Amino acid sequence: MSAIQKILGIVWAALGVGIIPLAIKRAMTEIAAKPSEENWIFWSIVLVVLMPIIAFSLITFGVFAIKGEYQSGD
Amino acid sequence: MAQNFSASHTEEVTSTRRVIAASSVGTLIEWYDFYIFGSLAKIISEQFFPKDNPTAALLATLATFAAGFVVRPFGALFFGRLGDIIGRKYTFLVTLVIMGGSTFVIGLIPGYAQIGFFAPAIVFVLRLLQGLALGGEYGGATTYVAEHSPSNQRGYWTSYIQTTATFGLFVSLGVILIVRQSLGLEKFNDWGWRVPFLLSIFLVAISVFIRMKMSESPMFSKLKKEGKTSSNPLAESFKQKDNLKMVLLALLGATAGQGVVWYTGQFYALSFLQNACNIEFVQSNIIISVALVVGTPFFVVFGALSDKIGRKRIMMAGMLIAVLTYQPIYKMMYGLGSVKNKVEIKEKTVVEHKAEIKGADSLKTTTTMKVFEDGTTYKEVKKEKFPVDPAKKAALPKDKLKPEIKKETTLPQDIFVKMIGLVLIQVIYVTMVYGPIAAFLVELFPTRIRYTSMSLPYHIGNGVFGGLVPLISTRLVEATRPGPDLPPADPLAGLMYPILVAAVCFVIGTVYIKNKTNTIDVE
Repeated sequence: MSAIQKILGIVWAALGVGIIPLAIKRAMTEIAAKPSEENWIFWSIVLVVLMPIIAFSLITFGVFAIKGEYQSGD
Repeated sequence: MAQNFSASHTEEVTSTRRVIAASSVGTLIEWYDFYIFGSLAKIISEQFFPKDNPTAALLATLATFAAGFVVRPFGALFFGRLGDIIGRKYTFLVTLVIMGGSTFVIGLIPGYAQIGFFAPAIVFVLRLLQGLALGGEYGGATTYVAEHSPSNQRGYWTSYIQTTATFGLFVSLGVILIVRQSLGLEKFNDWGWRVPFLLSIFLVAISVFIRMKMSESPMFSKLKKEGKTSSNPLAESFKQKDNLKMVLLALLGATAGQGVVWYTGQFYALSFLQNACNIEFVQSNIIISVALVVGTPFFVVFGALSDKIGRKRIMMAGMLIAVLTYQPIYKMMYGLGSVKNKVEIKEKTVVEHKAEIKGADSLKTTTTMKVFEDGTTYKEVKKEKFPVDPAKKAALPKDKLKPEIKKETTLPQDIFVKMIGLVLIQVIYVTMVYGPIAAFLVELFPTRIRYTSMSLPYHIGNGVFGGLVPLISTRLVEATRPGPDLPPADPLAGLMYPILVAAVCFVIGTVYIKNKTNTIDVE
């Protein structure tokens, strides 16, 4: 189990890092295609609120998992 | 001796029941306050936002609704810190007063037609206050109840607090339906929608009175007497690695998935019935209300079961089943509710036209009534308003001439019952993931920083991941619309977000969380 926890830790950290450019690119494409008020509201919430929380928590959690912090099964 | 034990046990149970009742009533009222905004989202968008773009108005309302969720973690930090320093009792008294006051004032604000952009701005600020108050309330009430409960029944006793969110939603829908039915649609849309907001002040007054009589949590009192309370719970919770890792585990392995399952099973289901299936307002609310009433006792069932078999197994099972069955459930709901694939009885179709002059405008109303073979009835009211003067009409941009179309589907009894069943299944998932979670969170953190530490992952999971379900899912469905006046190509596209979050959460929870049972003693 501890090996799986560590390997998956790499996956979480990579997901956390990868989500940042993906979300920014998608937001820029959609806003450029249709710069409406709705688009701005939606992407502002995603980029300012949701994305930082997902990225920070996945990266930090992933690093803890890689270091074996959850090995005892908390 | 045996008699003494029995008497003291009875006294203990009675005292715990009193604590649960007093805490639950206040928390239920807070949820009621918070949810009437969501239940009245459509009317609020018409009252407080410009009417020329209804989609933008609805999205702005959903964004305001979501703002209330997004600030919940900040309320959790602010009030959690207070609760860990000065005590649980006074902190959640303050949150109750802020919540009640904000809700009451929303009911008093003049609409967009009277004060322009001040209206949405004031509503936005009050919604933020509601979110902050709720962020402080839940953690306080749960911690308070858990610290009064015997360790082998913590799942059972805290599950009563867990019923309050669903009951709060139920009461909010009930009050709205009663006011709407007693006043009639016109009066309700004009001013009656304010009544549920104004009513809040009386409910809060009663709850404050009850809570004033409660005593402080025994664990916190002991800690305070010994001078062991935390002087900086924020730093202790989030700067110390051992606590931070548990906060992250609670968020990614439990509350994020629980949040999306909660909001999909209750809020998204209602929105789906009303917007994708066009089910009539009263009927769709009754479907949700009945499912909530029947499903709510299961919070206690799963809370109690978690004392026996552990919190993790039940929560993870709920998440997994939700991930695997949301698509087929919503497909069935769409098949039963939407008239798209139903066979129309053509000879029963009635079309009425009405034309009238209102000032300088001409108003043309076309009402179409259809009946389908399975007993479903469908009503479409199309209103076209344009200036009588052809020159003025020609000068108007195309989108100003767009007709306003209202669609209403009324289901026959057998389909109505099946629809309740499908929503009830989702409510059961909610009870599985939410029933044991309070006890699970309480057991992760020590008393001195419990209020702060458990509140943050709870409110990020529910407030941010869960609270954004309506906004993100609506957006995902809208993205499949092939043209501005065409229906979405994939009405189920909105499910992608909750399924993805719950799936990731299930994997993390399964791999990293230990299954805890009644053997855990909190201190």
